Amino acid sequence: MKTSLPIFLAVFVALGASFGGFVAGSVSQLGTAKQAIVLNSTEIYPVQRTGHATLGLQVYRANGCAVCHTEQVRQDGMTCDLVLMGGGKNTAAVNKALAEINPGNGGFTTNELPKTILRGVTKEVADVAADKITTAGGKAEIHINAIGSDISRGWGVRRSVAADYLWDYPVQLGNLRAGPDLADIGARMADEATQLRHLYAPSAVAPKSAMPPFRYLFETRKMIGNVPSPDAVAMPQGVVAAGYEVIPSEDAKNLAAYLLSLRIEVPLYEAPFTPAVSAPAPAETK
Amino acid sequence: MNHETSSPKPHATAHLTVPIWVISLTVTLIFLGGVYFDYRSGWFDAHVYGPYANAEQLDLYQPKSGEAALIAHGKQLYDQNCGTCHNPDGMGMAGKAPPLAGSEWVIAKGYKRMVEIPLLGLNGPISVKGQSWSASMAAMGAGLSDSDLAAVLTYVRTSWGNKAEPIAADDIKAIRAGIAGHPAINGEQELKSIPED
Repeated sequence: MKTSLPIFLAVFVALGASFGGFVAGSVSQLGTAKQAIVLNSTEIYPVQRTGHATLGLQVYRANGCAVCHTEQVRQDGMTCDLVLMGGGKNTAAVNKALAEINPGNGGFTTNELPKTILRGVTKEVADVAADKITTAGGKAEIHINAIGSDISRGWGVRRSVAADYLWDYPVQLGNLRAGPDLADIGARMADEATQLRHLYAPSAVAPKSAMPPFRYLFETRKMIGNVPSPDAVAMPQGVVAAGYEVIPSEDAKNLAAYLLSLRIEVPLYEAPFTPAVSAPAPAETK
Repeated sequence: MNHETSSPKPHATAHLTVPIWVISLTVTLIFLGGVYFDYRSGWFDAHVYGPYANAEQLDLYQPKSGEAALIAHGKQLYDQNCGTCHNPDGMGMAGKAPPLAGSEWVIAKGYKRMVEIPLLGLNGPISVKGQSWSASMAAMGAGLSDSDLAAVLTYVRTSWGNKAEPIAADDIKAIRAGIAGHPAINGEQELKSIPED
């Protein structure tokens, strides 16, 4: 065949280009990704999952959770808040600067500090205003917040980045949101019993939930002497018949451990934000 | 592109000619694509995502290491290093460690004594909020860097109702240099012999 060489070359180039773009390119970009340091701290992120949570990922995968749930929070942009931290000595000058920044602000009293004086502005505006306060002798800080529809739904405080999936194999990204995004479910529902209850009877925890119950991950059995065994998951009234108790299987516990390990709540270099100082410390993994 | 068949000109040469508008459109598209790529790709930087267009913009939005960041960092270090005995809420533990919330040693204007306790450790009796304690504390802060210790102590001085001035890393450095090799502080008596600033 006269044209076999050109055909071979064309096929080679076509496959080679897609291999280069999709595989080699991605590997050279992120293949050597390592754990990172959380912003403004010495903590390492993400930490390796516990054994239970690692097994739980396979339960998640086997039950097809990724068919209806995604694990990726999107972010549309960033906004800045300007917070007045200290008035300095020249209160009059700071008050004047405040009025200049936003005439509606009025003055401040020491008791109000820290006081938010600008909300939802761009970094440039916040920088200019912070400069004015610093020049007047006051102290101001710029707080950075991630914004977006996913974030306003409470699905996370920042977008998902590659580092979040460092310990996932295979990564359970998902592409359909029949249910809520789970990238931050461990922080949202930080309690093993609630997770298990939700798996057994979704509507008992989230009344409007369309999720099918995963009862085959549990054993529903008759209580002995009307005393629930230590392993039993407490259920709200009406979920199980009186005198019966629900015992989670090893799979259910592992899946709950995996769900609890899903958290994207720390600021990273690639997804910066200013965490709320009063935010509760992450609960210990169970 | 088979231009010849659609060309009405009978005297078309044997060479295929591409009309000038196709060339200019292609060049314009390549140019615009290049501009878009230059602005949006982050040059394949593995750290540039989504709303950030490039590494410079990402740097612009990094939280400055202001006081809030310092305190947040201090809280993490406190929970790891101090909270086990002094309690995460700063109330101390009976028979183990005195409270830090409202402690006169913590909120004192001069912070030299407060800095030396974690740097050197403290043995023997000390009175805190009118109560006498005789537990001893190891030099928990000796292993922390100047900036880490400054963050912890600033967190302690500004939390749980404490309202004292923050401590800077440079101050810690100066105090640390001044007491190198000193043994653990021997109770309240020796602590009081340290000048406040």
